[in-house]
Amino acid sequence: MGNIFGTKKKTRVTEQDKAVLQLKQQRDKLKQYQKKILTVIDKDKELARKLLKEDKRERAKLLLKKKRYQEQLVEKTDKQLDTVEQLVHDLEFAQVEMQVLNSLKIGNESLKEVHKLFSIEDIEKIMDETREGIEKQKEIDDILAGALTTEDEDAVDMEFEEILRQSLPDVPQISDVDSSEIELPSVPTEEPKPKKEKIGRDPVSLAA
Amino acid sequence: MEFSWPWEYDFPPFFTLQPNLDTQKKQLEAWRKLVIDYCRHNKIFVLDVQESMPLFQNKTIDRQLSSEGIKRVLEILQENQQIEWCDKSKKQCFVYWKTPQEWGNLIYRYIIDKGMTNTVCTFYELTEGDDVKNEEFAGLDKSILLKALETLEASNKAEVIMFGGSEGVKFF
Repeated sequence: MGNIFGTKKKTRVTEQDKAVLQLKQQRDKLKQYQKKILTVIDKDKELARKLLKEDKRERAKLLLKKKRYQEQLVEKTDKQLDTVEQLVHDLEFAQVEMQVLNSLKIGNESLKEVHKLFSIEDIEKIMDETREGIEKQKEIDDILAGALTTEDEDAVDMEFEEILRQSLPDVPQISDVDSSEIELPSVPTEEPKPKKEKIGRDPVSLAA
Repeated sequence: MEFSWPWEYDFPPFFTLQPNLDTQKKQLEAWRKLVIDYCRHNKIFVLDVQESMPLFQNKTIDRQLSSEGIKRVLEILQENQQIEWCDKSKKQCFVYWKTPQEWGNLIYRYIIDKGMTNTVCTFYELTEGDDVKNEEFAGLDKSILLKALETLEASNKAEVIMFGGSEGVKFF
């Protein structure tokens, strides 16, 4: 038993624990007392019955009186037990509350520590610098975009379309597919009409 | 429930130490098992060693194990760490049909299940209380309880409290 009086190592038993222990021991004693009285009551009841059979009425009555008194004792100890257990629970709960409070305190402390690490001025400075950085980047973007004239951009667009045209996919080979399966559109029955545009355009070109 | 004696118990030669060493070894092993089973069944934590007790004496076949025989059986049990003498007079011994470590684990399991860690308990509450009536450790001998709690102390799961006549234990 290395822990008597906590001499060997740091004990985790608090003063409240000791108080709880003493109360619980009192509770145990009350329970033992009740057990004792209950057995006495049982015995008396048995005895009273026996006496009645033997027609010793007076003695039986006396015993029943004693039994009644004992029963009152049990009731009283019940009340005491209740009080003791109530106190035990209160003490235990108070300890739980204390632990919760301690945890909150620790949490609060560390939150404060973290907050200490950055001041409002620092944050404002950082935010300002960030804003400046963004603006600078925008300026650079503008300068780079502005380096090309509109003509250049037109040329770029044209080249882009040229490449696009060249890289269009080839027309698929007919031979790959069974021709009978392909449903071709029927030949138009009417004479095709010349497009209006063309008619309109020719005289202009002639005039020129 | 009645204890069911092994067949050897009704076999007269079982109560006489056998001269053949091989046979004797088997005989002592059967006795060892009988003592442990008997104590477990009857919840005997502290054994009063008496020749006249039913364990060592079968009245129906009028046989009893001699004190020399009892001594040998107990020696075997001690070698197996299944008994421990209470004192030097060798009249009483603790019977460990569960080791203190096993008792400790059983009690700690109960404490965990009941959410009673961080709680102070009296010894009475642990072995005699109404809540433990159906637990295996109900009625556990106080000395063995203390040994069991010491094993829990060693693994930091409990701390025995003793001050001014108050005894108890706090579980963690």
